[in-house]
Amino acid sequence: MSEIRTEYYRDGARKAQQDPVLQSALAAAQSRIGGATAKAYMDFPEGPGLRLLGHDIRMKAIENLDILLETLVENIQKKGGHVHFAKDGREATEYCKEIALSRGVRRVVKGKSMVTEEIGLNSALMEEGIKVTETDLGEFIVQLAGEHPSHIIAPAVHKTRREIGKLFSEKLGIPYTTDPPTLTQAARKALREEFLSADMGISGCNLACAETGHITTVSNEGNIRMATTLPKIHVVFMGMERIVARLEDHDILLRLLATGAAAQKMAVYVSYIGGPRTPGQQDGPEEFHLIILDNGRSRILADEEFREILCCIRCAACLNVCPVYGKIGGHAYGHTYCGPIGAVLTPLLVGVNRAKDLCMGETLCGACQAACPVNIDIPRMLLSLRAKLADGDPQWSVTRSSLMEKAFYMAWAGMVRDRRMYELALRAVSGAQKLLPRREGWVHRLPPPFHGWSIHRDMKPVSGKSFIRRWSETHGRRGEGGNEPR
Amino acid sequence: MNPGDNKEFIRKIRLALGYRSQGGRTFSGVFPDGRAEESVELIRRIKNRGPDERQWLLARLIEEAKALNMMVVPVKDAQSAAKQIAKVAQEKETEWGGPKRVIAWEHPLIERMKLNRELQKKGIPLDFTIPGPAGMGTDMVRERVIASYIGVTSAEFCVASSATLVMKTRPGQPRSVSLVPTIHMAVIEQDQIIADLRELYALLKWDPYHKEEGLTNCMTFITGPSKTGDIELILIHGAHGPKELYLYVITG
Ligand code: SF4
Repeated sequence: MSEIRTEYYRDGARKAQQDPVLQSALAAAQSRIGGATAKAYMDFPEGPGLRLLGHDIRMKAIENLDILLETLVENIQKKGGHVHFAKDGREATEYCKEIALSRGVRRVVKGKSMVTEEIGLNSALMEEGIKVTETDLGEFIVQLAGEHPSHIIAPAVHKTRREIGKLFSEKLGIPYTTDPPTLTQAARKALREEFLSADMGISGCNLACAETGHITTVSNEGNIRMATTLPKIHVVFMGMERIVARLEDHDILLRLLATGAAAQKMAVYVSYIGGPRTPGQQDGPEEFHLIILDNGRSRILADEEFREILCCIRCAACLNVCPVYGKIGGHAYGHTYCGPIGAVLTPLLVGVNRAKDLCMGETLCGACQAACPVNIDIPRMLLSLRAKLADGDPQWSVTRSSLMEKAFYMAWAGMVRDRRMYELALRAVSGAQKLLPRREGWVHRLPPPFHGWSIHRDMKPVSGKSFIRRWSETHGRRGEGGNEPR
Repeated sequence: MNPGDNKEFIRKIRLALGYRSQGGRTFSGVFPDGRAEESVELIRRIKNRGPDERQWLLARLIEEAKALNMMVVPVKDAQSAAKQIAKVAQEKETEWGGPKRVIAWEHPLIERMKLNRELQKKGIPLDFTIPGPAGMGTDMVRERVIASYIGVTSAEFCVASSATLVMKTRPGQPRSVSLVPTIHMAVIEQDQIIADLRELYALLKWDPYHKEEGLTNCMTFITGPSKTGDIELILIHGAHGPKELYLYVITG
């Protein structure tokens, strides 16, 4: 999804909440996966503290990313793989297109990869007349329906079996059924033909290992293994931050990933791929290309406030516990990454002003951090983004999102510092609020510009007396009540 | 493609991190090998494991595998494994039509099983992925894995705590045998069962044999048969990879 629709967050969120099918799908997904993950963290032999260790490993890798990438590249080249660095999405897609066109590639099979969504790879290849097939079952469903994924690891979570049945009978020509095993078998058959006839397989990379020179792919279905084993060419897209130094780091991070993603001990398939087929081997691709993508990441890396977000291993645990994601689903976030991770990452990638509603929409409840297998402090970064929106920030080209709000808070700050002004204002407001509509004693609607606060809630009327005044009335003056703290 | 671009890319990362150059940092300086001594000690312990502990690991593996719908079958010797495989082969039907065919790795353990003899009794042809000019080339392996409904492999290790099989790709041991056929059967000896991932990574990195060989260009962990939950979160086996996974453990 290279198209950015973050401006429509509110619209999307509203629509999602009115969609009963989506609401029950989200509730089911969250209750099934969300709770299980928290319990699974307790079962690590090392205890839940493993998450903190995971965070340290990731952070150290990020802070020495240059060295890790150099080591990775050297090791992959030794094994006959090609490596290309792409500074943005266009460079990455161009490179892939060039490989495809120069080798006469007509059909491409893809394993699920968020980074190719981010750069809009599919449409770029399709423009060249190349057939691109998503092979993860969820992605396949979403692609057939002409939609975009709504969850990082369960892309079709928003679709019911009835919808899928209808879709398959239209597009795959099978008799209509709502039986999940029959539907899965139909997709298995259709996709097997794609795997067997594809000239190129494209995958993402979960976490590369610099020391050994391997990328890793993780899946439960086996589609990524198919896509990286059968076609003659394998192209990997990797966000530049998805790497750790040593093999022993994988011991910890793969367990964290599998637990965070689906409360599994291990995904069904994990592959370490380090280059093309070697002499004597009887299968695997003849060519191996690794495309390492920046696309705005070095800018995030340069800012110590946000660097931590690059520790993310894209497990989607934060989505599965987020109360906001649980109501509005993935599409409302308007870009590739959704949920709490998207609320931080998307503004940094596409522009903070442009995606301001994403970070404003989250509740700061902290559930995401508690669920995150590498303990990323998402709430902190949400607050930082909001601070930038409030005050503006030339470094990130952020302009103040609301001058009015800023002016109001400045006035407020001035007022509360002055006792007399404050008392005066209280009295004025408590008098004026008599004119406002009430419901059971609560203020039901506020006048502009404050009306936003009362759309979804009633407010307690403002008291005419300040707390200090009331205290002195009920407890007497200083020293008289005997309740002085000292 | 252009090495100049790569330099520029790395330079940009360096600047973002606040370094002008490598800044005296080297890979092994910043990331010293963790757990070296500890791993060597661990490997020694693994190799000297007593029969009680091995038995316990097998029990653990069977239990873990059950939750994943992976069948772990202990057998007393290689021939019994072959008999079991032939029995299942007879019961199961092919998924994509065509006659029954089995494909197996060229591997000393599988050779010892005399699988050919057992399958012949049932009238099921068996291909070995023999490497080299006299054996199977890429095209032939491809054609045969597609035509086979059962693929037989061995593995390097099996991790008991997560029921994970670990396989490397080598001449004679192509990765598609564990992937393309409808049913995957693996055969290992009991002492290939290890306790957990910690032991696995220690062995992969520090065991002299594996250290020398490296991970190969494709090492795969397999934990249960292929599965998906993409339709209303309902668990279904056999999304793309094998629908069934059998592991025969030769206990001796
Ligand atoms: S932020 Fe944490 S929980 Fe969310 S996707 Fe990334 S690693 Fe997973």
